[in-house]
Amino acid sequence: MSAIDYSQFVHTREGLVDRRIFSDPGIYKVEMEQIFARAWNFMCHESQIPDVGDFFMNRIGDDQVIVVRNKQKGISVLLNSCRHRGAAVCRAEQGRAKTFMCPYHGWSYGLDGALIGVPGLREFYRSDLKKNELGLGQAAQVCSYKGFVFATMDPAAPPLEEYLGEVGRLGLDMLAERGEIEVVDGIQKNILDCNWKIAVDNLFDWYHPSVSHLSAVQTGFLADLSSGDALRPMQQMVMLGEYGHAIGGPRTTLAELEEIRTSRAQVRPTLAARAEDAPRLEKIMGRAGVRSLGHPNIFPNVWITLEGTQLCLRLPRGPQQTELWWFTFVPKHAPEWLRTAIVQMASHLFGPAGLLEQDDGENWQQCTRASVGTLNRRYPAYMGMGLGHDRVTRDGGQACIETVVNEHGQRWTYQAWSDWMMAEDWQALKTNHAAPPTDVV
Amino acid sequence: MAPTLEAMLLQYEVEQLYYAEAALLDERRFSDWLALFTPDAHYWMPIRRTVMASDLENEFTKPGAMALFDDDKTLLETRVKKLATGYSWSEDPPSRTRHIITNVRVLEQNGDEITVEANFHLYRTRLEADEDSWIGRRRDVLRRVDNELRIAERSVFLEQTLIKSRNLSNFF
Repeated sequence: MSAIDYSQFVHTREGLVDRRIFSDPGIYKVEMEQIFARAWNFMCHESQIPDVGDFFMNRIGDDQVIVVRNKQKGISVLLNSCRHRGAAVCRAEQGRAKTFMCPYHGWSYGLDGALIGVPGLREFYRSDLKKNELGLGQAAQVCSYKGFVFATMDPAAPPLEEYLGEVGRLGLDMLAERGEIEVVDGIQKNILDCNWKIAVDNLFDWYHPSVSHLSAVQTGFLADLSSGDALRPMQQMVMLGEYGHAIGGPRTTLAELEEIRTSRAQVRPTLAARAEDAPRLEKIMGRAGVRSLGHPNIFPNVWITLEGTQLCLRLPRGPQQTELWWFTFVPKHAPEWLRTAIVQMASHLFGPAGLLEQDDGENWQQCTRASVGTLNRRYPAYMGMGLGHDRVTRDGGQACIETVVNEHGQRWTYQAWSDWMMAEDWQALKTNHAAPPTDVV
Repeated sequence: MAPTLEAMLLQYEVEQLYYAEAALLDERRFSDWLALFTPDAHYWMPIRRTVMASDLENEFTKPGAMALFDDDKTLLETRVKKLATGYSWSEDPPSRTRHIITNVRVLEQNGDEITVEANFHLYRTRLEADEDSWIGRRRDVLRRVDNELRIAERSVFLEQTLIKSRNLSNFF
């Protein structure tokens, strides 16, 4: 049991969350240890590093990691810090390398992280250096789910598929089951002054668009959005999974998917593709899953969005700073018009210049800023929408909540946060985390 | 090469266009600013990456790949419309901006079109004390239409890889 009782900050039964968790430096440091150093963290898509030596720089918590295709064609996830004095051995955010040589004293490492070269090994170290004990720090487990590469620093973490569970796998399937896909070159990255959890909380939030994004809606830029069709405040579906994974957002019907396929395939190409493939997808994603147009979060910080065309990481960079990284996916053999449509829609909606996202950062910074104030902190954040009013039902054996706009996904995320912060280790987390609800929520 | 009067006049014309454009943006006269663009204009800001010197060809994303801005004129009009709704929270209260345009160089003339590069500094403050600063290079294709220079293509290359601001809600 940790010294501080983190459950005191989260009262999901009252729908209250203590604002201190959005800015306290001490809590942030514990999050790095208890959440990010234990979780399976999204690293990249395999299409980004197809050949030996290809690398992509990412982060696990506060630390930079090199995600690299090694000589065995596997993927190594290496801490980007020389074992001699700690300088970064790789200074580019992507590229191709034969080895990683530290530019400080020249220690060099293989693509698997092994220390292979030390200048002056014989003359200065007198051959007295245990090279095999001085490889780069690396992930305890690296695993790919249908091309999506994850890594965990914790050897005791359950295997990736078990960690994801039904809901986490479904979330990734929304992207992964669109046929053979690849990342479009260019990851949009920006940093803003908000706590990472406020950005995560927002992805389940179908309450904010009609106010936060009113200006974008009023331009008529998205016909579906302007009519309220895409948002469906009265037709929502939520799925709550193990370890904090969740999906929340609009729901559809197979009949409607079919209607989109026959009459609006050019406007909603990804949904039309889902309709085309419905019988197969239903077997993989489930009867409820195939009807979900919601936003999954793979706990802690992986958002899959826009009908499964993009993935956004919310990377913590301090208690009051977060980086947003957008990965955009297209079917590998997509016709030119479809590729262009997906790529342009992505930059028009999201990323720092996106018509939607411009206004999000503005609000999230205000939420974070207010959590610092001694007086403001006396008033917890309120997230009680729908609390106690909904029930988990089953569709083809899959648990889901069919309801109106709600805050089930947010409460579930903060409950998981509390469980992770309290658990001493993975064994304790496996035993002592909230089980997905089966009745009233 | 000795400067010709013709080159000096063109230089003057281009600089005056850019100064007038900067004033329109800083005075938030966005509809007037839009009128400076041709109907087929393309407004583009690629993503820049930190890469090794040997990999500089991949520093910026290429046309057709992901970008920060990849707009035709209709989308620029949408952005301007958004700002005018009264609900554009990232710009209400409005940001205070100042566009500084320097190092203007006419690179190429090809019939009615000329290619120009210029450096810029866009400085923004917001609310009480929020501050952002973007420095970069613009590469424009300007086209002479009815004897006036219009912007047919604008590419914006920022001196940032990780964008160090909460958004890019202003024009460059």
